[in-house]
Amino acid sequence: MRLILTRLAQMLFVLWVVATLLFYMFRLMPGDPTAAYIDSTFTEDQIQQLRRTFGLDRPLHEQYVIYLGNLLVGEFGDSFHHRRPVLEVLGGVLPNTIVLTLSGLLVAYAFGTLVGAWLAWKRGTWVEAITIPTVLTLRAAPEFWLGMVLLAIFGFKLGWFPSGGANSPGAIFPSEWSRLISKDFLWHLVLPAATLALYLQGLPLLLMRSNMLDVMGEDFITMARMKGLSSWSIVMRHGARNALLPVATAFALGFGASIGGNVVVETVFSWPGLGKLLVNSVAASDYPVAQGAFFLITVVLVSMNFIADLLYSVLDPRVSHGRRI
Amino acid sequence: MNTLHNSSARTLRIPAAGAVIYLGFALVLTALAGSAAAQGDRVRKLVLISGAQAADPQEFQAAQLIAQEWRKLGLEVEVRGLPRPQVSDIVWYNRDKWDVTMWRMVGRPERSDPDELVYNLFHSTTREKGFNFVGYVNPEYDRIAEAQRSEIDQAKRKVLVHSAQDMIMADVPYLFLVYPKNVVAYNSSIWKKDTIIDQSGIGVRNFWTFINAAPAGSQKDMVLNAAEAMNAINPLYISGAIDSWVTDLVWDRLMRVGPDGLPKPWAAESVTYVDGTTVDVKLRTGMLWHDGKPLTTDDVIYSFEAPAGDKSPMYKPFVANIAAMEKVDDRTIRFKLKAPNASFFTSTLAKINLIPRHVWEPILSGQQLQGKSAESYQEQLPIGSGPFKVVRFKLQEEILLERNAAHWSAPQMNRWILRIVTNTEAAVGMLKRGEVSFLSDYRGDPKVLEDLVKADSTIEVAATVDMGFRFVAPNLRRPPFDDVNFRKALMLAINRNLMAQAAWNGYAVPANSHVSAALPFWHKGEQFKPNVEEAKKILEKSGYKLVGGKLHYPDGKRETLSSLN
Repeated sequence: MRLILTRLAQMLFVLWVVATLLFYMFRLMPGDPTAAYIDSTFTEDQIQQLRRTFGLDRPLHEQYVIYLGNLLVGEFGDSFHHRRPVLEVLGGVLPNTIVLTLSGLLVAYAFGTLVGAWLAWKRGTWVEAITIPTVLTLRAAPEFWLGMVLLAIFGFKLGWFPSGGANSPGAIFPSEWSRLISKDFLWHLVLPAATLALYLQGLPLLLMRSNMLDVMGEDFITMARMKGLSSWSIVMRHGARNALLPVATAFALGFGASIGGNVVVETVFSWPGLGKLLVNSVAASDYPVAQGAFFLITVVLVSMNFIADLLYSVLDPRVSHGRRI
Repeated sequence: MNTLHNSSARTLRIPAAGAVIYLGFALVLTALAGSAAAQGDRVRKLVLISGAQAADPQEFQAAQLIAQEWRKLGLEVEVRGLPRPQVSDIVWYNRDKWDVTMWRMVGRPERSDPDELVYNLFHSTTREKGFNFVGYVNPEYDRIAEAQRSEIDQAKRKVLVHSAQDMIMADVPYLFLVYPKNVVAYNSSIWKKDTIIDQSGIGVRNFWTFINAAPAGSQKDMVLNAAEAMNAINPLYISGAIDSWVTDLVWDRLMRVGPDGLPKPWAAESVTYVDGTTVDVKLRTGMLWHDGKPLTTDDVIYSFEAPAGDKSPMYKPFVANIAAMEKVDDRTIRFKLKAPNASFFTSTLAKINLIPRHVWEPILSGQQLQGKSAESYQEQLPIGSGPFKVVRFKLQEEILLERNAAHWSAPQMNRWILRIVTNTEAAVGMLKRGEVSFLSDYRGDPKVLEDLVKADSTIEVAATVDMGFRFVAPNLRRPPFDDVNFRKALMLAINRNLMAQAAWNGYAVPANSHVSAALPFWHKGEQFKPNVEEAKKILEKSGYKLVGGKLHYPDGKRETLSSLN
C-alpha cells in the first residue's frame, strides 16, 4: 500500500514539473497567437482586446498561477483558434485516437509476441532467415509509405475498405458509444489500425524473441524437456510467460508514446485524431489546445508507466517492491 | 674610391625602391578607396520570405525562380520558406523587419466589387495595422480611392478605378505574379453537368452550384471534401474559407453576389436607392427560420445592429457606414447611410448574415459570453433561414446539412456532406471510387486530374481564373525597396509566363493589377514583358553600379541595414 502511495506521489510530482515546463516553453516560443486570425480587418483596439481576453497581457508569473489553478480543476481554458473550451475540442477527437491506438497496439503486440516466441523456437532455420529481414524492413519503412501502400491496394484498387475518415458520409448514430461499436466505424478502422500494427509489431516481436532465446537456455526449460512436455507447452506456458514481462512494460509505455504520435497515420487516412489536432495547434500558436493535448499525453504516459510498474510486480513474484532480494 | 661610391649608392637604392613601391601602393589604395566611396555600399543580402515547400509548392517554386532572376542583376538573394503562421506574424506584426515576401490576396464573392481591394490595400490609413502592409503612401492615390468609393455613376467610377490601377502599375508597390485558377472536379454521372454553375472569379464551387445541382441518378447526396478542418459555424465570425462555404448555405442575406459577379436581391424582394444615402429594402414574405419561427423586419434590423457593437469585430467595418435603420412598413426597411458608398450592395447587403433575434439577442446581451466576442460562441444547432439546415457537425470530421424544403429556393439535392480529408491523394482516390462526388478542395498537381479525366469520362474538371492574385510584396520602408526605380528593375526581371507555366503548371494567368482580370468591367490589362537587360539599364541610369558582379548603391549611399538572420 505504501508503495502505491509513493508511486502516486511521484506521479503527481512529475505531472507538476511537466505542467510548469509546458507553460514556460510555450510562452517563450516565437510567434504571436493572434497571428492565426490575420485574415480580417482587425483594428489595434480589437487586437488588444484579444490579448486582454486571453490574459496575454498579464505578467508571466500571474499567468502561471492562473494556469496552475485552472489545471487542478481540469480547466484548460478556451482554444484561440476554435473559440471553444479546450476539453471540448480534445474530447471530440479523443475516442477516435484511443480506439485506433489501442487496436493498433493490441494487434501489434499479440502478433509480435506470438510470432516472436515462435521464431525463437525456430532459431537457425530458413524461416528465421526470411522473417527477421521482413520484420526489420517493415519497422524501418516510413509509416506514411506503409499507409499509402495499404490504401492504394485495399482502398483504391480492390475497394475493400474506405479511403478515409472514421465514418461513412452522412452516417448518424444515437450515441458516441454506439458509433464506436458500429460496423461502419470498425470497417473504417481496419486500414489505419493495420498500418499502425504493421509498423509497431517490430519491437514486441524482436524483444520477445530475444527474451525467449535467453529463457530457453535456462535450467527449468531443460527440466521441462526432460519431463517430456510438448513443444507448445514449453514455449507458451513456461517460456513465454517469463519472456513476456519486458514486453508487458513495453506495451504500457508504447501506448503512452503512441497516443499523440499518430499524426502521420491520421493524415494519410484522414482519421480525426489527437495527433493532427496537436500539430495544427502548435503551428497556429494555439497555446491552450497545445498545452492541453501535451498534458493529456503526459497524464496517459505517466499513468501507463505506473500501471506497468504494478503489472510487473503482479506478473513476476520475484520482483516485489520494498523487499530486498 | 670606385667601390666606396658603388656600395653607398647600392645601400641607398633598396630603401629608395621600397619607398617608391610603398608610395605607389598607397596611391593605388587611396584611388580605390576614393572610387569605392563614389559607388556606394554593396547592397546587403536580401531575404525573400515564402511559404514552406511542402505546404505551398507553387509559391516556393515561384520564389526560387524569382530569386534566380534577381541574382542576374547582381543581387544576393536568399529564399526562406516558413510555416504560414510565422510568415503572417513577421509580415503583419513586425512591419519593419522583413525585406520582401511572397503573398496572396484571396478571391471572395464580396471582392467582386473592387472597392475592398482598391481602398484597403494602398490607402495610407491602413499602413500601420491594416492591409497596406507594404507601407505605400501616396496622397494622390488616397484621393482616388476615396473618390471611387462614393462615386455612384458606374462609368465615372470605372475611370477612377482605372486611374488607381495606372498609379499602382507606375509606382510598383507590388510585383504582381499571377491570377491562379481554381481547379475543381466532379462526377457528372451523379450531378448533371448543365446544372453546375460557374461563378466569375470564384469557379464552379460556389453557392449557386450547391442550390442548383440536380442529381443525374439515384444518388441525391452531394459529398464534398475539404483539405483542412473547419474552425466554426458562426454567422458573426469569418472563420475561414471553408467555413464560409457552410455559412453561405445556412444563413440568408438580403442580397447575394450572382454568378456574373454582380449583386442581386436574395432575401430581399427589391432594393432601391431613394437618394444618395438612403436605401429601401423590401423583404420577401413567408420566410421561416430553421426552427419554424417567422423571419421578420425586427430580425433583419437586429442582424445589422448586432455587428455594430464590439461583439463581431470582423463584420463591424461592413456596417460602419450605416447611420440608422427604420421600419417603413412590416415588409420594408430603410437604411440611412453616413456617406454615399458605391459598393454598399456588395460589401454590406450581400455580406451580412441574417440572424434570428430570438436566438442571438439573449446570447449577446447576456452573461454567457463573459465579455468575449460572439466569435467565441458556437451554437449546438445553428439556426439560420438558408436553403440548407444543419443536421449535425464535427468540425474535424464532417459537416452534414439537409435541404430546407420550406425555402423559396430549396436545393435540388437532399443532403450536402462535407468530409475533412487531409490527404490529397486519398481525396482523388475517393473521387475515382465515388466516395466523394464533388472534389471541392484540391491542392495537388492539376495534371493528376487531367489524367483522371482522360481515363474516366464521368469525371469533369473545371478550372476558373480566381479574382485573387499572387504577388511579391517589397517592404517600402526598407532601402533599396523604397526606390521606385529599384522596384521597377526587380519587376522587369520577373517572367510571369514562366511563373504561370512552371510554378503553377499552366493553371494560372499572368497578373498585372490588384483588380483581377476575372472582373472584366473594372480590370485594366497591360502586357508586361520580362526584360533583364532593360532592368539592368534602369538600375544603371539610377546610379546603381555592378562591381565585381555585385550590385552597389548609387554614389555616396551607405547600406544602413544589416541582412536579416
